[in-house]
Amino acid sequence: MADQPTSMERFIQGILPENPVYRQLLGLCPTLAVTNGMKAAITMACAVGFVLLCANVMISLIRNLLKPHLRIVIFTLTIATFVTIADRFLAAYMYEMSKTLGPYIPLIIVNCIIICRCEVCASKQPVITAASDALGQSIGYGLALSSVAAVREILGTGMFFEIRVLPTAWPDWVIMVLPPGAFLTFGLLLGWVNWMTSRYAAKKQVKGSL
Amino acid sequence: MEGLKDNKIVQAWLVLLLAVLFGGALSGVQMTLGPAIEANKINETRQKVPELLGPSSANGESLDIVSRSVNVDRQGKKVFYSVYEASVNGKPAGWVAKAVGQGYADKIELLLGLDPGLNKITGLFILEQKETPGLGNKIVTPEWRGQFIEKSIQSPLEVVKTGAETPYEINAITGATISSRSVTEIINSAVKDLKKPLSGQTRPLE
Amino acid sequence: MSYLIDIVLIALSAALINNFVLYYFVGICPFIGVSRKVEMAFGMGCAVTFVISIAAIMSWTITTFVLMPGAPLSAWVAGFFVSSESAAKIDLTILSYIVYIFAIASSVQFVEMYVRKFFPLLYKSFGVFLPLITTNCAILFACLKIMSNIVGVDDPADAWDLGRSLTLAVFGGVGFTIAISIMAGIREELELCDIPKPFKGAAITLITGGILAMAFMGFTGVDSGLKKAMTPAPSIEMKAPQNTAQ
Repeated sequence: MADQPTSMERFIQGILPENPVYRQLLGLCPTLAVTNGMKAAITMACAVGFVLLCANVMISLIRNLLKPHLRIVIFTLTIATFVTIADRFLAAYMYEMSKTLGPYIPLIIVNCIIICRCEVCASKQPVITAASDALGQSIGYGLALSSVAAVREILGTGMFFEIRVLPTAWPDWVIMVLPPGAFLTFGLLLGWVNWMTSRYAAKKQVKGSL
Repeated sequence: MEGLKDNKIVQAWLVLLLAVLFGGALSGVQMTLGPAIEANKINETRQKVPELLGPSSANGESLDIVSRSVNVDRQGKKVFYSVYEASVNGKPAGWVAKAVGQGYADKIELLLGLDPGLNKITGLFILEQKETPGLGNKIVTPEWRGQFIEKSIQSPLEVVKTGAETPYEINAITGATISSRSVTEIINSAVKDLKKPLSGQTRPLE
Repeated sequence: MSYLIDIVLIALSAALINNFVLYYFVGICPFIGVSRKVEMAFGMGCAVTFVISIAAIMSWTITTFVLMPGAPLSAWVAGFFVSSESAAKIDLTILSYIVYIFAIASSVQFVEMYVRKFFPLLYKSFGVFLPLITTNCAILFACLKIMSNIVGVDDPADAWDLGRSLTLAVFGGVGFTIAISIMAGIREELELCDIPKPFKGAAITLITGGILAMAFMGFTGVDSGLKKAMTPAPSIEMKAPQNTAQ
């Protein structure tokens, strides 16, 4: 257990090196579904962050009482409860947004990121570590969602956060805000991230050998 | 005591405890947020009523809005409408009906404002649609919706590609004739269904 | 007749027009993970279709009798504790997400045990995918769609019955199978292609999925046209002569 990362390292790792979307390919449904506008993407990322943080802290608090065969049941129960709370909160204070996101808020329950973090980190680590891990992962998730959403919203509607950024002469690429645009944008971004990572790794290797 | 320890239910004490705890938390959430959510749902359509009845309807006075449901028999099929009846100081100010119908993609849900005498359309608002972005979803723009205001409902409205001239014609959106026609058809059938049950009575009907 | 039209439209919409994977983006994880071989993809699709139907029956039953506002069973139980007026107003929809996910998890468990015991051949072909399905968004999504068509309608007579719910679920599963099998077929060919290294695996699958989604967009509008064709008489008789320009 000597090389266990500290809470700070876990926080940083979640953002880029172990980004839940680009590196681990987790939680892809919302990454594709709610990224046709920045506002929806940010709201979704906040909801996932809230659930992830609460679930991680909760699981970490009761980690010594967990029995192996009842572990998953408890995870699911916790996550489903916090998702319901997040859903009701959105419906009460951001009604328009909750209608836009529709079924994708309850679908957080089956989002692999949360159950994966509970299993890998929260059920073994103290509260502070679990919380910082959750924060790092949620920031990484938010970054990934907003990167896809930014590309799609700017190219698809010429707007960013619903404010016009491209000249009106820009012919809106409607396909970008439609379902195929999600697949194409995310596929290209994923390839680009892979390429950058491999280049970065190659550079590091060259430096190390010198 | 040993038997108790091996019992499956006792082993699951943590699950049961958490279930009770979360149940309590959820009922707390429901108590605090429930009224706000209900209000949101009702206001979504109700707030639109004054706008849909046109600027002259209220004359700055507050509208009394009563909601009711109307069941209509359309060719042997029961059709259901939510209707808001607005009045100012007991005098009828107009009707707002919620109508649903098939669009190009999925359903279109709209609010239709009618004057108290059921002669003309006073407003139109699209509540929900999934038409093609950039083409069909232009039905939500005020410019296109504005065409319907002040149109008479004595005879069905009709969609033409360009250059609407007669009072019963509506210009289609370029590249989205089907969406335009769907909205017009929803309005036509709603008007046809509602004319009889609404005319002549200004107070509750079931 | 109109019921039959309804069923056909729901089926068509779930399987092709609003395909679960290519339009709603649910079940993306298996779409990328289990689409290397056509047989595997087909097995996964069958397993999902099977479980989704069972989950749909369960969720329809639970929603109609227990969860929805004023549901008969919960009102009857509540009637023992409170006055009958407040019992009739009982609304348990807040519990729906928790109930659905546990209904899905337990039905997957039962299906797995049952199939392993009685249909060992079937189990061999798609049994390995069953545990994976619990966290498949497509199943929960179908349950949520059914719920929104029961709870979220203005007119109680418009609420979906078991037939419509089951149609949505079965054809949603069929749509998933179609999408994942096509994807697997394309990927088998892609193996032989010279793909730039960073795009190998998930990235190229997503881009291919994008092109597939574009192809499926061609189905948009089929339902409205079909509805018009199948409805016997036009609902509005036009006074003015038909405009031939359209």
